[in-house]
Amino acid sequence: MVDNSHNQELEDLREAARPCFQCGICASSCPVFRVAPEMNPRMSVDSIITDGQVPAEGNEWLCAYCLMCEERCPMGVSLTEILMGIRNISSKEGKAPPDFVESAEALLARGCLSPTSNRSVKKRVDLGLPDLPQPDPEHVKLIFEVTGAYEVLEANRVAVKEEAE
Amino acid sequence: MKYAFFPGCTMANRLQFAEKSVRMIVPEFGVELVDLAFTCCPEPNAVRSLSEDTWVTFAARNIALAEAENLDILTACAGCHESLTLAKHELDTKPERKEKANEILKGMGLEYKGTSSIIHVHQLLFDEIGVETISAKVVRPLPIKVVTHSGCHLLRPQKILQVDDAEVPVKLDMLCEALGMDPLEYMDKVMCCGAGVRKTDSDTSYAVLKEKMTSMVMVEPDAIVVFCPTCFITFESGQRITNRLFKTEFKLPVFYYTELLAIAMGLPDTDALLADHRVKIELPEFSDTKKEDSESIPT
Amino acid sequence: MTTRDPKDSSSESTKVEVVSTAPELRIGVFPCKCGKNIGAVVDIDSLAEYAKTLPGVVFVQVNRYTCADPGQREIEDAIKEHRLNRVIVASCSPTMHEDTFRKAVKAAGLNPYLCIMANIREHVSWVHRDDPDAATDKAKNLVAMAVARAATLEAQKEQDVPVTQAALVVGAGVAGMQAALDLADAGFKVYLVEREATIGGIMALLDKVFPQNDCSICILGPKMVDVAKHPNINLITMAEVETIAGYVGNFDVRVKQRARYVDFEKCTSCGDCVEVCPVDVPSRTDQSLTWQKAIQIPFPQAVPSSYFIDPKSCLGMDLIRCGKCIDRCEQEAIVSSDTDHYIDFEVGVIILATGFKPASPEKIPRLGWGRYPNVITSLEFERLINAAGPTEGNLVRPSDLTKPTSVAIAQCVGSRNIDTRSGCSNFCCAESVKCALLIKEHYPDTEVTIYYQDLRMHGKYFEDQYLKAREEGVKFIRGRVGEIQQYPKTKNLRVSVEDTTHNKLQLLEYDMVILSMGAEGQSGNFPLPISCTADSFYIESHPKLRPVDTSSAGVFICGGAESPKDIRDSVIQASAAAGRASIILQKGRYPIEALSARIMQDKCNRCGTCVKRCPYGAISEDGTGKFTVMGALCQACGTCAGDCPPDAIYMPNFTSEQIEAQIEIALAERPEEKIVAFACAFCSYRGSDLAGISRMQYPANARVVRSMCSGRYSTKFAQKAFELGAGAVLYSGCHLQTDCHFQTGNHWMVKREPRIRSWMKRNNIDDERFRVEWVSAGEGKKWQTIMSEMSEVTERHKKSQPKLKKPIAKPKVKSKPKAKPKSKTATKLKKTKSKSNSTKKNATTKKKTTGRK
Repeated sequence: MVDNSHNQELEDLREAARPCFQCGICASSCPVFRVAPEMNPRMSVDSIITDGQVPAEGNEWLCAYCLMCEERCPMGVSLTEILMGIRNISSKEGKAPPDFVESAEALLARGCLSPTSNRSVKKRVDLGLPDLPQPDPEHVKLIFEVTGAYEVLEANRVAVKEEAE
Repeated sequence: MKYAFFPGCTMANRLQFAEKSVRMIVPEFGVELVDLAFTCCPEPNAVRSLSEDTWVTFAARNIALAEAENLDILTACAGCHESLTLAKHELDTKPERKEKANEILKGMGLEYKGTSSIIHVHQLLFDEIGVETISAKVVRPLPIKVVTHSGCHLLRPQKILQVDDAEVPVKLDMLCEALGMDPLEYMDKVMCCGAGVRKTDSDTSYAVLKEKMTSMVMVEPDAIVVFCPTCFITFESGQRITNRLFKTEFKLPVFYYTELLAIAMGLPDTDALLADHRVKIELPEFSDTKKEDSESIPT
Repeated sequence: MTTRDPKDSSSESTKVEVVSTAPELRIGVFPCKCGKNIGAVVDIDSLAEYAKTLPGVVFVQVNRYTCADPGQREIEDAIKEHRLNRVIVASCSPTMHEDTFRKAVKAAGLNPYLCIMANIREHVSWVHRDDPDAATDKAKNLVAMAVARAATLEAQKEQDVPVTQAALVVGAGVAGMQAALDLADAGFKVYLVEREATIGGIMALLDKVFPQNDCSICILGPKMVDVAKHPNINLITMAEVETIAGYVGNFDVRVKQRARYVDFEKCTSCGDCVEVCPVDVPSRTDQSLTWQKAIQIPFPQAVPSSYFIDPKSCLGMDLIRCGKCIDRCEQEAIVSSDTDHYIDFEVGVIILATGFKPASPEKIPRLGWGRYPNVITSLEFERLINAAGPTEGNLVRPSDLTKPTSVAIAQCVGSRNIDTRSGCSNFCCAESVKCALLIKEHYPDTEVTIYYQDLRMHGKYFEDQYLKAREEGVKFIRGRVGEIQQYPKTKNLRVSVEDTTHNKLQLLEYDMVILSMGAEGQSGNFPLPISCTADSFYIESHPKLRPVDTSSAGVFICGGAESPKDIRDSVIQASAAAGRASIILQKGRYPIEALSARIMQDKCNRCGTCVKRCPYGAISEDGTGKFTVMGALCQACGTCAGDCPPDAIYMPNFTSEQIEAQIEIALAERPEEKIVAFACAFCSYRGSDLAGISRMQYPANARVVRSMCSGRYSTKFAQKAFELGAGAVLYSGCHLQTDCHFQTGNHWMVKREPRIRSWMKRNNIDDERFRVEWVSAGEGKKWQTIMSEMSEVTERHKKSQPKLKKPIAKPKVKSKPKAKPKSKTATKLKKTKSKSNSTKKNATTKKKTTGRK
């Protein structure tokens, strides 16, 4: 078992997870658990509470972020916040899924996730939709710089590269 | 009423006809839209997963842009709505968050104050304009049976979003009734469409969609009505993939609500909206709408 | 015997009889060696010599064991011989022997409230063993503080009030019935008030009751008849308590009884009227599963055994609108002219048995109740399986009236959920097992599955039921039901639950689902200030030792009004409440707290803060803007006085003047070294005693000022201590949340902390010199730690002293306590005068501070 107890972020998550009494309402409400038994929100929270560590299986990335568990939790535990926190920790360690990394790259490059193609521009023109004002690229860069997104991105770029090799 | 319009990346680049339908109907209710230099909201799932700070700062910048113009934001995508509203909640309830974001925004000549509110087209229509006003504008009722899907990110967390009841949503059904449609009760009405895991595990995503659509077809609807471009794409393009993966036979047309509203209100050029739908609309009610059986997939 | 009228305290101060009428102050001091306990550390002889020099002291006598018989006799003799009118025993903690010495002085004809103690054992000899000089100095100082306080002690009259020999029991469910029967059997008159048209409560609606699964109405019915027939019970149904005035022993009750429109003396319950009544309304008894008429009887065994008319659904009791029942009733029992009316009576005690209400399933929409007909609550199930219910005991699905072949039971519905009620209902596990067994008994082939989170079969015989259920083939799956969805065509139900034992999702189809409902509190609407929990159950006086008492003397609680519970526990508690109530009734008189607060009307600014502070609802405004304390309700905590802006509340024997006098004496010499520690009588002071009893050593610089409750500590006491140069000040009380003996005193005290700190900041007083601490009676060690830590603070402060210029303008230290004034009026005048002086001083300080703001 990896001792992560020194990690303040983890400790905060543990604190947030503390009221959980393992009733299973979250799991029974989870659309992903219904089709993919390896994603069990109750077990993710359990792992945080009892082992003080991020669930080893990396199941946090299977969360669909539908917030059903959070809405129904009888103890008011914010499961999505916890899963998001786990993801933030994993991301720092370069464990983000490639498609998420790609999204972040797109955001950095264009300030937008969906690719703008000639085709989609043409569609807008055909439908008589207005040209949307574009954000200042400097703003995007600044936010990436100051909020530590560059580092996270870099950690994951390396990981993606290693994976490819 | 004047709003800063926030169509979101998905709607602007992949579901232009839905955006068009929103822009078509709002002037009919005296609503004016303004376009601002927004970035991605940013998408709550991917970006927030990487860095909470990055997510909240992008959102703060977007909201600050609207605040600078003294405008409230009108969103059209459930994801954008959730992302901006949750970020606003964070910024408004945690002063240190706001301070931190404002330090960054200062460099752009912006400030997040918390003065602009964020509403979705769903709320604009149901809460601001009202079912009765909408009903009164209908010249061409659409008597079809539909199943509605409000979308996770319009429903939860209910305490913060306050769009509709998270367990028993009824407002979109009522909006559909206003257009002469028959909304059907079905199982798993508040279940996710599966879009959330598409990027990490597409097979799982379509397995979720299969569950959802199996429950939908049980009540034999004519179409699905949504209020989110991401859900739209999941249902529309996803059902073909689901059919391939799981040997199912889903063939349900999907509508973004305002498309139907535009048609029911008898607005001109609505055929252009439906031209890009990928599941053919073989309903008699739409027979005089020009059908283009286009297989072209906007990507 | 004259008793003071507790409703009017303004006249109290003039009525109080001062037993000692000696014109001058004649204080006797009795230092005790306590064998070697004190004598080996404190130089008692030197202490005695010192005591003689103190103002007002006319007699000093050292004793080896003052508490022993000879010692007590010496005190009695000295009182008589030297005409002592104040007695100070310098020995152990007042917690230990104050009562002993008060009895002794009473025997000598002196008012017991004129005797106080200086604690030189637990606070001195036991905790400063290694420093006899410092210990002796501290002992002298403590005696001087006691002498200063004694100067203005007041004689208090120990009083009691007569008790009306009758009881009010509110709510006639099984708990209220039991309490009423017990009291009535003991010979007391009982007024039993019930809101519904029949007595019996929830129990009357149940089919079988666990754990023996005997027929509910069969065991309850005879008891209901007993209630109806008991000569000592005055049963008032369809009624609610409107107002209550008065206090323990003397409650004036007004009950509003709704019109029944049927004379229950004449009604034979023949049911002819029902046949002709044209109105159908959902049946309350049958949980709206079926219909009833506007003229109705809740169930055949109802008590009183009579129909009533629901005026909301009745078309009209005249021939023009309807009047069919009047026409039909051969007994002429229908009284169309009946009206709502009031019933007034007096009682000595009150028992609240108002019960709980079943939790509302509509608050948990994910389980589909109300949308899906085949999702029913446990109470609906009780009616369906009950032979007297709408289906005559045939369990059927409401959607199609077919017999279910598979039933799921979901537990913890409405319980253990922060959005509804976070607590466990106490009965839903046993209820579920009972339901399962009943189904199996009627329909052995029906599959029954219970979904539980933690199966809590804690009661006597409960485990046997659980075993029996397993033997009958009932399935038990650990996991709480997340959602229920209805299949559109069959109206069958899909239950989603995670089997948490196997970490597997179960999506199973059932014909019917029973929601095992918890309970919701409905307490708090009663016209008496009885505190309630956040989920609307009454709060008991002490969760373990006074579980059926409330904070209001003479008011008791039992059954579901106190917390959700089953029948057996309700009955046990009801008998307990009746027992407690009968103690008061049987004695015939009830003693009143002698130290009740009084409002000094000439100083009161009519702000009403005191009303909000009082946890007992003892202070009220009389309609003219004048506030008075109802003595019988006041428990003398002093929280009102602690926050009274003009300091207009007089707390006998814990007056501001006395407390300030103690502070002044404590800080007369080398104040910068001293800790002034305020401790409440019930927790902190006992904690400090425990430190002594455990011989925990700490520095000798603390001076403890005792009061009834930490709610008494005004901000001005700390300010006064700092103005006099105190090194450090401690406000200690019972632990927050529930420990305060007076419920909320500590909460109000801690709210004053920020004000004290900002005042300190403005006056450049280091933050660390003031502390607020919670010390329980068991935390001697904590007391020691606090004392040691605060001594380090005073050390630091002392070292930094020379650097500072004069800290704050020091008011003159009064070296002599004022002599005892000649007459009562003089006492009063003098008191008022000196008070107003100090108030003025205070006001100036305040003005300054507000000015700076």
